[in-house]
Amino acid sequence: MSNETLFNDDWLKLQQRYWDGLAEMGRKALGTESAGASNPWQAAMDQWWKTLSPGASQPGQEFMDRLMEQGKSYFETVEKLTKGIAGTDMTQGWDTITRNLEDMQKAFMGGMADGDNSMRRMAGFWEMPLDNWQRMVSSLSPMMPGDLLRNMPHNPMQGDVERMLSAPGLGYSREEQGQYQDLIRRSMDYQRALQEYTGFFSKLGMKSVERMRDFLQAHADGSKPIDSARTLYDSWVSCCEAVYAEEVATPEYARIHGQLVNAEMALKKRMSVMVDESLGAMNMPTRSELRTLQERLQENRRENKHLRRELEMIKRSLAGAEKKPAAAAAKKAPVRKKAAATPAGNASQG
Amino acid sequence: MFPIDIRPDKFSAEMLDYSRKLGQGMENLLNADAIDTGVTPKDVVYSEDKLVLYRYQRPSDVAQQAVPLLVVYALVNRPYMTDIQEDRSTIKGLLATGQDVYLIDWGYPDQADCALTLDDYINGYIDRCVDHICETHGIDKVNILGICQGGAFSLMYTALHPEKVQNLVTMVTPVDFKTPDNLLSAWVQNIDIDLAVDTMGNIPGELLNWTFLSLKPFSLTGQKYVNMVDLLDDPNKVKNFLRMEKWIFDSPDQAGETFREFIKDFYQQNAFINGTAKVGNHPVDLKQITCPVLNIYAMQDHLVPPDASKALNGLTGSQDYTELAFPGGHIGIYVSGKAQKEVTPAIGKWLNERAS
Repeated sequence: MSNETLFNDDWLKLQQRYWDGLAEMGRKALGTESAGASNPWQAAMDQWWKTLSPGASQPGQEFMDRLMEQGKSYFETVEKLTKGIAGTDMTQGWDTITRNLEDMQKAFMGGMADGDNSMRRMAGFWEMPLDNWQRMVSSLSPMMPGDLLRNMPHNPMQGDVERMLSAPGLGYSREEQGQYQDLIRRSMDYQRALQEYTGFFSKLGMKSVERMRDFLQAHADGSKPIDSARTLYDSWVSCCEAVYAEEVATPEYARIHGQLVNAEMALKKRMSVMVDESLGAMNMPTRSELRTLQERLQENRRENKHLRRELEMIKRSLAGAEKKPAAAAAKKAPVRKKAAATPAGNASQG
Repeated sequence: MFPIDIRPDKFSAEMLDYSRKLGQGMENLLNADAIDTGVTPKDVVYSEDKLVLYRYQRPSDVAQQAVPLLVVYALVNRPYMTDIQEDRSTIKGLLATGQDVYLIDWGYPDQADCALTLDDYINGYIDRCVDHICETHGIDKVNILGICQGGAFSLMYTALHPEKVQNLVTMVTPVDFKTPDNLLSAWVQNIDIDLAVDTMGNIPGELLNWTFLSLKPFSLTGQKYVNMVDLLDDPNKVKNFLRMEKWIFDSPDQAGETFREFIKDFYQQNAFINGTAKVGNHPVDLKQITCPVLNIYAMQDHLVPPDASKALNGLTGSQDYTELAFPGGHIGIYVSGKAQKEVTPAIGKWLNERAS
């Protein structure tokens, strides 16, 4: 396959047109229009990849997906940081960059206030830790998507729901009612933990913007301005990673992290118990029964291997005991003694 | 001076360049064969359950040491990291120094293995591998090289079976699990391990991956891929990168009971330091380790901080204790060019000097 085919001329031409246009707008100091998440570059890139990806090997596809995803994040980040600064003088430039940074902070603050939707829009970049978590949760619970409870409002109605859940079950199905109540309670616990976790990241986002502002101010004293998108992006990553490293080393984060994992496990466990009960009602083997069998089987195997080893040792010591009289007899006959020494010598040479 | 001077035409040129490189990279990705891992020829010499013991084929032009070296890798991730590619292979380097190298591949535990304990791994699997090697060679002792968690296993094994270990090498091995810079340890303190294991049975590799990626999420899940675009035009670099990617995300599930014991006893209770380590019903006394010990750590290790490894000094009963600091990270200590020149030859030399 040639490069021309792969590049897909239309795709590159479309991008070229888009970027020429944007450059022209910048030259006219009108670069205040955000390209947005669905800019032609991204759209063309997505289309191009959708066409070609089926031909790639599985690891290649996954890898390329990540490259595409991060490529978009890279340019989005740079666009947000540099929006409107082209063609400005020093004072206007600082005003603009300050406004851009403030916009980013507002987005993070909004994220905290409205269930982090605006943070998600603001920086796909800061989605990574959350995205990683959700992918992981989805892989553990195919029936429960990782973001199932993420944006579900809960605070206004929390008190009422908890009162309802604390009411005892009644009648013939009270045990079942109790289980469902417990399931809902654990769902709410998980939702609370997840929102505290995302809230923590919102705060980190704001701190990172502060760090970036400090970095740019310090850089203004240097000899050379940042003149490439990559350098600006790398600086942003460094600021984020530095803030992240400081914050996740705190006891507060350890608590939030532990709470999130524990809440997810508690929810999953309740679901497993309920699935087990349904299986039991259908006279099917349950996970709990299998676990008991696994433990017993392993105990048997452990004992079996231990006994087998002891048996081997007994056999060997018996064989050794039988050899001793033979060796003692051999000592009396010089010719046989020499012959017996040879195999032992070979063995020791490995 | 205004700190940013990115002209729109330069920005657009950068973006087009990025697109162009992606296009070129696509060709290399389409042409990439299945990712091969583990390059040095080896033979299966023993297997039990999901465990496979390999013996690597020695180079014909190198005289081999009489005492074989058993590599004990961690249960986390896969051991082909030690033999990841032709020019980045710890195994190959060890063979070149005359070591007769064996390696335990733990395989991929499934739910049927969830009841495996530390006792099963250490006094069971490792001990039977050692016995197999000793029988094959007609010897009483082997050399052991324990890597990361495998190093902790090796310490326990050597303390419990000192008569079977001639020399012990530990690489990036956690000993003090509660050093202040140990993020993994800090995070795990508030996790209810019993709840996790009782719920999941085995601990999924995905959960471990998430934890490791969370140590440096922006570099490890973002910036790395943006930087990689620059290398996409080189098919070999693409393949090497894919190989590493495969390894990073190739995380076996952890046998539940072993995970429970290891995390609670070591990460939460710091059992080596507090002297409370035990395997099954056997207390582990590191003072029982009297053989020569070489302890290698990586100075930029974000998974096992240097102090976590250096804590071994003084804990064993060995009169011949050596430390080797490597200027790199937890993975670089196996795969970096520098490691091939510094670490592996140093291990070989240290072992050869102690060959009796």
